[in-house]
Amino acid sequence: MNATPLLRSRAFRDIAGVIVLVFGVGSIAMALAHVSPIAGFGALFDGAFGTKEEVAETLVQATNLLFPALGIAVAFRAGLFNIGAEGQLVLGGFAAGWLGAQLPLPAFLAIPLVLLAGAAAGGIWGAIPGFLRARFGANEVIATLMLNFIATLLATYLVNGPLALSNASPGETPTLPASATLPDLVADSRLTWAFVIALVLAFALRWVLARTVFGYELRAAGDAPEAAKRAGIDLGRTAFVAMALSGAIAGLGGATIVAGELHRFNTGLSPGYGFIAIAVALVGNLDPLWIIVASLAFGVLTSGGIAMQAEANVPREVVALVTGLVIIALAGRRVVASGRTT
Amino acid sequence: MNGAGAAILAVLGLTLVKATPLIFAALGGVVSERSGVVNIGLEAILIAGAFVAVVVSGVTGSPILGALAGIVAGALIAALLAFAATRLAVDQIVAGTGLNIATLAAAAFGLVLVYHRPGASDEVPSLGHTGEIALIVIAFACAAALHVALDRTPWGLRVRACGEDPGAAEAAGIDALRTRFGAVVLGGAIAALGGVYLSLAELDLYSDGMTAGRGFIALAAVIFGRWTPLGATGAALFFGFFAALQYSLQRAGVPSELMQALPYLAAVVALAGFAGRVRAPASDGVPYVRQ
Repeated sequence: MNATPLLRSRAFRDIAGVIVLVFGVGSIAMALAHVSPIAGFGALFDGAFGTKEEVAETLVQATNLLFPALGIAVAFRAGLFNIGAEGQLVLGGFAAGWLGAQLPLPAFLAIPLVLLAGAAAGGIWGAIPGFLRARFGANEVIATLMLNFIATLLATYLVNGPLALSNASPGETPTLPASATLPDLVADSRLTWAFVIALVLAFALRWVLARTVFGYELRAAGDAPEAAKRAGIDLGRTAFVAMALSGAIAGLGGATIVAGELHRFNTGLSPGYGFIAIAVALVGNLDPLWIIVASLAFGVLTSGGIAMQAEANVPREVVALVTGLVIIALAGRRVVASGRTT
Repeated sequence: MNGAGAAILAVLGLTLVKATPLIFAALGGVVSERSGVVNIGLEAILIAGAFVAVVVSGVTGSPILGALAGIVAGALIAALLAFAATRLAVDQIVAGTGLNIATLAAAAFGLVLVYHRPGASDEVPSLGHTGEIALIVIAFACAAALHVALDRTPWGLRVRACGEDPGAAEAAGIDALRTRFGAVVLGGAIAALGGVYLSLAELDLYSDGMTAGRGFIALAAVIFGRWTPLGATGAALFFGFFAALQYSLQRAGVPSELMQALPYLAAVVALAGFAGRVRAPASDGVPYVRQ
């Protein structure tokens, strides 16, 4: 009868709550669609794990969520709400696709340049609200939200207009040369080295946040801004750098989608990864290593959801419905403790 | 009447059509935020209002009942946000973001359940041209009524007090949590009319993505209008005018992406303070926890 500390810990209760939410809401939705939950979830897990290719696709989805979730976590840890990962990811993808399509360079130069271009574009897009906040005190939540729409419209305009490349279809860049694309990790799948890069980045971020002066300043600014200010931390500068870094990570994610699975930019490259990643970051408790776990779980839901729709006739929107509810359920986490003011 | 005059009248008429859903949603946002609850979930409220209005109109054959049901649906979604924001003191921005994702998905799922196909509903009895004009008039009436209510009534004073300093409001005997809850739900009911307008007045069906980010443009209108009913209405008309102008300017070679980006750009500029002194209510978005 003795509850262990693990069972009473907040993380455990959160994860248990999320599991109940996923299976509870999922079962109700399936029942409404006249599908037995056993058949529905069976199709979901079968679609996520059934074959080697399906496991690879699950990891592809996890990778695409891991990058923006890590970016979001960096900003959140600094007490800043970056809900602009979607726009940062799209512009990162555009910069990578546009540059990559016209790089006559060997792979060891082309790949880093393409990824760097994505990170730079995303970083600039994150730095804008960071700057507006540091310089004018502009609310970064609304700014990043608005910049999402501007990013998509800007990328659409650029790819069809002033930066259109010859022999490209509308809304797309031409195919990247093989030297600018990420090598496959599993043959005949879309899983590439992007997955490894994302894992390495998560461990690197964990180290930066926990062990470096920059990481300390960033966390101090998020946890206790008044105390941080008195300790001589420049809150404006920290906000700017944190937002730029946050955007750069999301932008890098966009670049890996382009250089990895799509081999070109197109304006529909993200089905909302930047928004789902908010749930991933929250479920992962803003800790890079737990975010890896959370992104794998959401990767299962995303890739399995597609199979569930095809095989069990349950609309895949159920996955988005559950994701939204998870975000609402976890909205209370950290927030009151952080003493954040808008 | 010459051609140019007719063209101007056409743009002005289209401006009202494009602005009306934005006015409703923005007014809903103003009420909510003046009480201290940021409403990122306006898009969710538009979607719920539009979807439920269509389903009920189809089932009952009465678009009026549909419209009323749409209002109730918007109020319920807002109540969910209000409950989370006041009783659970969660982060309103995160909760609102989740609400948008969940509601969009729920409506898409609902289409499959009710109409057995994804994408769009059947055509249902609409409010018609008379209903459309009535809703346009109601939008402006709402703006005027809210202006007076917020500025001149005891209720408005209480709402504003909770948005500025809920602690002080409570000290003065105001129930801050209840006031906020009421303001958010009222805001949801008003904003939902924007969804009703889109699905039952401008059209006679619901289709996925039909709100097209108008909830976020309305949020921009709230900021650009400096959190006032008349300012937000003006901003909504401004954005509606450019949405209407888009059709003529596109033919003149102005990129449509630029026109579509305008509301969002205006909000960013307003946030940065270029449009004069822009200040949100001091406690906007800050959960109030009773000591």
